[in-house]
Amino acid sequence: MNERYSRQVLFPGIGKEGQAKISSKHVLIIGAGALGSGSAEVLTRAGVGKLTIVDRDYVEASNLQRQQLYTEEDVAEKLPKAAAAEKRLKAINSDVKIISIIGDATPELLEDLVVGVDVMLDATDNFETRMAMNDVSQKYKIPWIYGACVGSYGMSFSMIPGKTPCLNCLLRTIPLQGMTCDTGGIISPTVQMVIAHQTAEALKMLVEDWESVRTSFVSFDLWRNQYTSMKMSKAKFPGCLSCGDERTYPFLDHENMTKTTVLCGRDTVQIRPSIKGELSLDRLAGQLNSLGYTVKGNPYLLSVEMGKERMVIFQDGRALIHGTKDLTHAKSIYQRILG
Amino acid sequence: MNKVLFFAHLRDAVGEEFLTVNASGKTVAELKAELSAKYNLPKMETIMTAINEEFASHDEVIRDGDEIAFIPPVSGG
Ligand SMILES: [Zn+2]
Repeated sequence: MNERYSRQVLFPGIGKEGQAKISSKHVLIIGAGALGSGSAEVLTRAGVGKLTIVDRDYVEASNLQRQQLYTEEDVAEKLPKAAAAEKRLKAINSDVKIISIIGDATPELLEDLVVGVDVMLDATDNFETRMAMNDVSQKYKIPWIYGACVGSYGMSFSMIPGKTPCLNCLLRTIPLQGMTCDTGGIISPTVQMVIAHQTAEALKMLVEDWESVRTSFVSFDLWRNQYTSMKMSKAKFPGCLSCGDERTYPFLDHENMTKTTVLCGRDTVQIRPSIKGELSLDRLAGQLNSLGYTVKGNPYLLSVEMGKERMVIFQDGRALIHGTKDLTHAKSIYQRILG
Repeated sequence: MNKVLFFAHLRDAVGEEFLTVNASGKTVAELKAELSAKYNLPKMETIMTAINEEFASHDEVIRDGDEIAFIPPVSGG
């Protein structure tokens, strides 16, 4: 074992044997935003054997405050996050095999990528992708670690198929109007705290110290000084369609996904959410206003100016993104605002 | 009586870190509906509930003295 990992090998939870395991394992990180760039750096420095990172966005100036892998140069070049992450991670540790995928983490892509993966880390910004990850985790029996944050509030939960409840047991449905960093703001320490929880859990799984994996659901508020740990032993839902006896993996089904279509002859993409429900347009308008967006609206819809694009959101969650024909970009704008 | 704790945007909406209410005999869903109406809270169906720091389902009945926490799952990352 080389000098590089000596301090980590000294740590009793890892040791020589643990380090050898880490260097033989493959981690899949979905998302290369704040959580993804942080987790990827921790695991690359820790010497994981292979790391695959997936992201559909490019680097923007508003990312630099917290997304630790990126530089002003990446912003100037509008580099895709996955490509910028790969460049930086390879410079940090050339022992690690880094694979970057520029694209939307659809169920099809997740099912392709998950082959041979030991642990999946959640670093996405929306529940649709998380629910698909959850189904993939159950279908292919691969543990995954949920992590999310907004403002000074963050949370994490480790899920092991066959052992713990799954995300679908806890939520039963996709939250329609989830709080995101684009609507609720975010400070970097919150990101770091979630990364600390997710990567510590990942290391335990990589060294196969299953006994030490956290079984409770952690949530905290760094500004309000709250830390809670919720026991999950009663949370498994027997009728769960993702992990129960009559499972159907509903979130791998195309029917249950957000639909995007380019409107014919117009520079516009239409987005239809997978779940039906009513948005609180007043609340959304208030959040967007306080972030400095120009918002106009009436009781039926909101129109939001977002740089080059304009988004019109209807009460049933449907939206039109004007000023683009790029389906992935449009979906990204939509999920940034609506979660 | 029951102590009810709020986190994240729920705390902002309620304006307090916790409330003391009498929720004894009510289900989690009933308490959510009641608080949601009283404080004009955003949809509470997907907000997780802990009773005495243990995950509780919507139909779990609250007993006197139980401490309830509402934990909203967030999606930022
Ligand atoms: Zn489940």
